[in-house]
Amino acid sequence: MFLSVRRPIFSLLRFFPQFFRRFVSLPFSRSLSMADSKMLDDVDSDDIPHAFLCCVCLDLLYKPIVLSCGHISCFWCVHKSMNGFRESHCPICRRPYYHFPTICEMLHLLILKMYPMAYKRRQNQTLEEERKLGLFSPQYDSLACGSRAGEKMEHLEDSANGEMNANTKNDNVVAELILEENSEVVRSASVEILNSLGDLHGQKTQNQETVTVADVLCRACTQLLLRPVVLNCGHAFCESCINLRVETLECQVCQSLQPRGFPNVCLELDQFLKEQLPEEYKLRSDSVQLKLAETFKHESPTSCSSEGGMKGQGLPRWDEVASKVHPAVGCDSCGMYPIIGDRYKCEDCFEEVGFDLCGECYNTRSKRPGRFNQQHRPEHKFKLVFPTMFSTMRSRIVTEIMLEEGSTTFIIANDEGSESSEDMGAILELSSDARESEENDSDVDVRTQTNSNDSRTDRNMSRPT
Amino acid sequence: MVRFGSQNLNPMVGNRDHRPQQPLFGGGRSSSSTSLAPPTSWASTTSVSASGKRIQREMTEFNLDPPSDCSAGPKGDNLYHWFATIFGPPGTPYEGGIFFLDIIFPSDYPFNPPKVVFKTRIYHCNVDSSGNVSLDILKDSWSPALTIAKVLIAVKSIFTNPNPYDPNAPGVAHLYLADRAKHDEIAAEWTLRFAK
Repeated sequence: MFLSVRRPIFSLLRFFPQFFRRFVSLPFSRSLSMADSKMLDDVDSDDIPHAFLCCVCLDLLYKPIVLSCGHISCFWCVHKSMNGFRESHCPICRRPYYHFPTICEMLHLLILKMYPMAYKRRQNQTLEEERKLGLFSPQYDSLACGSRAGEKMEHLEDSANGEMNANTKNDNVVAELILEENSEVVRSASVEILNSLGDLHGQKTQNQETVTVADVLCRACTQLLLRPVVLNCGHAFCESCINLRVETLECQVCQSLQPRGFPNVCLELDQFLKEQLPEEYKLRSDSVQLKLAETFKHESPTSCSSEGGMKGQGLPRWDEVASKVHPAVGCDSCGMYPIIGDRYKCEDCFEEVGFDLCGECYNTRSKRPGRFNQQHRPEHKFKLVFPTMFSTMRSRIVTEIMLEEGSTTFIIANDEGSESSEDMGAILELSSDARESEENDSDVDVRTQTNSNDSRTDRNMSRPT
Repeated sequence: MVRFGSQNLNPMVGNRDHRPQQPLFGGGRSSSSTSLAPPTSWASTTSVSASGKRIQREMTEFNLDPPSDCSAGPKGDNLYHWFATIFGPPGTPYEGGIFFLDIIFPSDYPFNPPKVVFKTRIYHCNVDSSGNVSLDILKDSWSPALTIAKVLIAVKSIFTNPNPYDPNAPGVAHLYLADRAKHDEIAAEWTLRFAK
């Protein structure tokens, strides 16, 4: 009915795509205009460069994580797109990875500085969702950040936020907000507050644009990042600063080992730096090239050995590790998700997410905080957990798959004819007894060799012989 | 084990520990089935607002720069239920046809693929009689970075390049491989009958 009415209109209009588009899109957009204004009351994403848009939520990056392939995404977007059962793949390039990287603090502060308003909005959104979830991403208070700039920006952005509200809400709310945020102006009259707000806002708009070299420093050479590489621990280095370290790649800041393979350059960030700080970038790249040329002269053969060495350690084959996987459990230190091999579970952490370490991190006595703000302490006790659940779960899943699809591929080889789905269930449930019954019952013609009388009668009934 | 390995299991969001086992099984089951039933059995940790926001953004982007010969938008007020049209590309037996599709977003979109169903009957080896499309990016190869615009482009590509080696309609695929001319003739006839 619906189609037959519409079809003539469409067939007429398809020669006028422009008009057609308007015709189609207008009713949709009108019906959603309410939701529209409610949901997208934020800053337009147009003025945010493509480099800082998350490919998963299509919004400004919030608590950015750089994957080993160099692609950036939000903390929650990465975590949610990871696979709890096996290796995960980058949403953009599908490069496999096993470890949930730590948030890149440098990038976090950079985006906070550039887009304080939008970032604040994202923070509020995310906090709301996290509250629903009861699971929180790592909080960066200004002290932990260790940067005064970050603290200052927090102030600015809060007050700016307050001013935004002034347009829509009444002045009292604004005054309260400011009283909370800016202690210097707390005692002043409301007029003064508004004046100071204006100043702050002016400051903010200035700050919003300027990215200085101090915001984007390499943690090793403390100079402007050139071809930045972000390690699994979230620390950023120049590619040249890292390339020289041979064999196992270790972060020079936190001494954590980079798992599996040399990370790629974060090209989006590199491009951004090239555009934002062209002169500094030029200077820096010239000097690095000079230095590289020198080292190349002195010790040419070892220059690229590190990369080759790292690439040698490929990802393990799934079949080999399948029995050692702890599904949907991640290591809170290195981020391996799911944990493969030994799993140590903290017995004293009360949070619902728990605190787990992989065998390697347990042995190296890693002291990094949990990925979800767990209040883990070094004196907590650990318990070794075996992946027993997985094998039972796997067999159940296989059963379910078979029952659902009615597949006949998994049936014992010497079977001919069709099997009913109850039979297949019986095979799997009683597979442990199968060997036993094989000894007792040497008759090959009896097909599934189960020693349960019930299932046998069932089968005989269903078999059309 | 082999079967399990080949399944694309859902990322068990937030299921790091202490969760009841039910969601795990639910996740495994719903991803393994190729049916188009909405995934409901496990508690989604993606809040509706997050997926709604993402769909909203996609819609704005889609309206700004729609792929050629495609249109899409929500059906009524429900953001999670879209309605799309694709024009049969010229040079194919589907030329001149207008194909209507239903797109249903899961509540944890974009971490699970949307369901795309043809509402217009079509003679195509990758579309079965109830309109289900066999397209790898709508199953195992789904990536959260894909958008509806990209999905529609992919659906459009099967008009020009049917994949008879992963058929949803084996009879059609067989005819496509055996007698291409006859296949095209029937497809054009169906287009005339159902899609005009």
